[in-house]
This record gives sequence, structure tokens and C-alpha cells, in this order.
Amino acid sequence: MSANVSSEAPEYNLTIVKWFAVCAVLYLVVGALVGDIVAWELAFPSLNLNEYMTFGRLRPLHTNAVIFAFGGCTLMATAFYVVQRTCAVPLWSDRLAWFTFWGWNAIIVSAVISFPMGWTSGKEYAELEWPIDIAIAVVWLSYMFNFIMTIANRKTSHIYVANWFFLGMMVMITYLHVVNSLAVPVTMTKSYSLFSGVHDAMIQWWWGHNAVGFFLTAGFLGIMYYFIPKQADLPIFSYRLSVLHFWALMFGYVWLGAHHLQYTALPDWAGSLGAAVSIAMIIPSWGGAINGLMTLSGAWNKLRDDYVLRFLVVSLAFYAMSTFEGPVMSLKTVNALSHYTDWTIGHVHSGALGWVAMVSIGAIYHLVTRLWKTEIYSVGLVNSHFWIHTIGTVIYICAMWVSGIMQGLMWRATDDYGNLAYTFAETVSAMHPYYVLRSVGGVLVLLGALIMLYNITMTIRTAGQPKAAAARA
Amino acid sequence: MSEAIRDFFHTDWESMTHVDWTGLIIVLVLTVLMIGLYVWVFRPSNRDKFEQYRDFVNQDLDEKEDIRKEVGHGETR
Repeated sequence: MSANVSSEAPEYNLTIVKWFAVCAVLYLVVGALVGDIVAWELAFPSLNLNEYMTFGRLRPLHTNAVIFAFGGCTLMATAFYVVQRTCAVPLWSDRLAWFTFWGWNAIIVSAVISFPMGWTSGKEYAELEWPIDIAIAVVWLSYMFNFIMTIANRKTSHIYVANWFFLGMMVMITYLHVVNSLAVPVTMTKSYSLFSGVHDAMIQWWWGHNAVGFFLTAGFLGIMYYFIPKQADLPIFSYRLSVLHFWALMFGYVWLGAHHLQYTALPDWAGSLGAAVSIAMIIPSWGGAINGLMTLSGAWNKLRDDYVLRFLVVSLAFYAMSTFEGPVMSLKTVNALSHYTDWTIGHVHSGALGWVAMVSIGAIYHLVTRLWKTEIYSVGLVNSHFWIHTIGTVIYICAMWVSGIMQGLMWRATDDYGNLAYTFAETVSAMHPYYVLRSVGGVLVLLGALIMLYNITMTIRTAGQPKAAAARA
Repeated sequence: MSEAIRDFFHTDWESMTHVDWTGLIIVLVLTVLMIGLYVWVFRPSNRDKFEQYRDFVNQDLDEKEDIRKEVGHGETR
């Protein structure tokens, strides 16, 4: 960042960014911890100690913690940071930003209470009950309104592409969340979906896939388009490609949900349409991944000693991989094998741990050093985090790929008389070693998150001390 | 054209509901818009309009204003 912009930095509201960034790291640890607990519970069912600790109640806590607590706080920290930096104005309203912060955290606390209690709407990635759904809509709108008003007040004429991705995510998530959460309340802790049968399933996966497509992809692409060129101190490879990437994503992603319902009561054409658009989405997704990777063209040596770039670049490799794997899995012939198996879990985690977590971790390391105006406490610990996280992710997804494909093949295997070759219990038993392996991968991811938490805590604590000042000099 | 291909592309237009027509029209409109987008973005004469922002995040404020004056794209204010 040049001296000109740095001199204006005090005008920006960076305190809110700091709080969201710290919360994101805390929630990464919590989400990974709960995720690993449920992974061990699947491997060893006796660990389901009581009703509050069962897999069924903790699993939504894990998904909500990593997606909406960790992912949400990361998106809020980065969006509020990027919009100020690229529009050259402070946030439109500090009060509204703090309302967003406390509101979002109150929602997270309510999730921590309500899921172990068993209060759930039963809709995947939207399990929270109706009073909390209303709170989510209000807080989310406060986030979006503040973002839009900051852009409206900008000093620059151009709206940088990262802001387009953030804004697209905010708009789409608003209506996806509202429509999917429409329900008839029965009590304060129980409601029933306004939709029924196959319509309910379609609405559910219209939301479910777009939670991935917009919350976990578009928003994080906003992060990618700001932090990769910023960290590398290089121009983005192609701005035209980024514009194409944005509009293709906005046009395309909303059609994909139907591919989650192949071979169900959903009309066949709807599943085919979902799969066809999924395949078409490979083009913009790979265009975006290549755009990020090629930004480093001619400067790959930066990866040798830039720990933040390493996270960002490897995240793009996982992004490219999962955006190819997903469309392939949506094809009916592949889906016939992969659906309902652990292959899907492997696919989701290659995106979640490889793409979302790594681009977030890279962005947070970048942010922390700039927000507290210091060097990172220990580069060695960041490098350890990188390798531990990467190895943990690879172990996790490989275990699930093998387990899932084996599971699918065992389910469809028949003998010479057309009878099923394996009982369901036999398929479960065969998966046990892979479940243990998956849990070990999860332990590594958790260990990496703990290292990050320690490193960032120490970075913040030592920020004002002479060592940091010397490092800056 | 073989019978299999004819069967594959056969559509019973009479049985199309309002929802089917609405969906079909939306798909076609979006397809045309997407093609238009590709043409617009990759048109050689539009290259500079977009690519001037490649290094937006690494420029300081004065440079950003210079860019605005140079090409004039996106002057909405």
C-alpha cells in the first residue's frame, strides 16, 4: 500500500474489521473442534454420550459454526475492509457495523444453545428455527445496507470487482435465505416449512447449493480478487476475465440446486437442467481460478517465502479441483454412484477445507499484520499451519473419496441371481477405517487452527512492543 | 436423423404449462445475455476499458483518479 493511502488509513473503521477477524479465528477453532468430535462419533458410536452430544445434534452445530460463524465473520471482516480500501471512504455507518457484529455473534450463540437442545427446522444448512431466521435476515440486511451505502459514498469512480462479488453474495443470500426459511411457526422452537413434498426438497437444495455457490464461493472470490493481487503486489492477470467470472457465476449458480435431487420425485428435466448448467459452470470457475493463479505469472518465486500467498494459491488449486469435481458428480451416470455416499462429503470438504478455509486463512494472516501494523509473531508457525492444514485436508478428502466410491460400489453390487451382494451393515463396517482416517485428518486441521489462534494472539499482544517496531523498520 | 435422436429431441409442446413456458423463456433470455456478455467482454475494442483496472488495489488514490480521467469508463459520478 502506498504512502498516500496509508496516510488516510486512520479514517477507516478498522476496529470492526479487527473484531470480525479475531472472531473468525476463534470460530475456526470451535467449528473444527465440533467437526472432529462428530467425525470420531461416526467412527466410534459409543462416543455419542448423551442426547446433547449426539451426532444428529452436533453435526448442524459444526456446519453452522464453520460456514456462518467462521465463514460469515471472515466475509464481514474482509468485505468491510475491502470496500473501505477500494472506495477510499470509511464505512457509511459505524453504529450499523457494530449492530451487525453483535447481532451476528448473538445469532451464533443462539445456534450453540439451540442445536444441542434439538431445536431444528431440519433443513440442511438452514437448521435454525424461525425466530433466529428472522434475526439473521435483519442482521444480514444491516450488513448489506452498510456495504451498499459505503459504495454509494465512494470517492473512486470505479467499483472494484471484489466489491461486485461481495455485493452479489449479499443480494443473493438475502432472497435465498428469506424464501427457504418461510415457515409456519407452531411454538417458539418449532416450525414447519411452508413448502411440502418435492417443492420443499427443491427449495431446500436451491438454497443448499447456493449457500455453497454464493456464501462460500462468490464472497470468497471477492476475497481472492483483492488479496491475491494485493499480497503479490501484482496486477490481476485479466480484469476482463474477472468481469466474465462474476456475471457467469451470478447467472449460472442459481440453476444448480436441482442436481442434488437426481433420481428423486423431481421431474427428470429439472435434474438434467441442473447438471447441464453445472457443466457449463466449469468454464467461468476455471477462468477465475486461472485468473488468480496467472496473476503470479513470472513471479512464482514469491511463493518460496511468502506464507500468505502460499495459502491463497493452494486455495485456488482446490477451488479449481472442486469446481470440476462437482459438475462431474452432478451427471446422472456419476451421480448414480456418488449420491448419498461419502464421496459427497469428500467433495464438500475439498471445497470447504481446501478452498474456503485456505483463502480465508491467507486473508486473515494478511489482515492481521496490516491492521495491527506489525509483523507476524512467528513465520515458522504459519508455515507449520500451512503444511499441517494441507496434509490434514488431503488425508480427509482422500479417505472420503475411497470410502464413498467403495460404499457406492458395495450398494449396487449384486450376485448372479440379482440379489444385493452386501447388507447395509456390511457397507458401514467396511467404511470404519476410512472414518478413523478422516477423524485423524480433522485432528490435523484442528491443530493447524489452534496454531493459528496462538500465533495471531501473540502477534496482537506483541504488536506495540519494540520487536514489532524494529521489524517494521 | 435416427429415430433415437428424433425421440431425444421430441417435445410435446401441447403439454407445456405456464410454468414450463416461463422457465423456457427465462433460460433463453439468460442464454442470450450470457452470449452478449462474452462478446462484450472479449471485444478487442473494449480491452482497455476493462484492463485499466488490473492493478486497482495496488494503486494509490491519485493514480485511481488519473485512470478515471484517462479512459473515462465507469464515470458514474
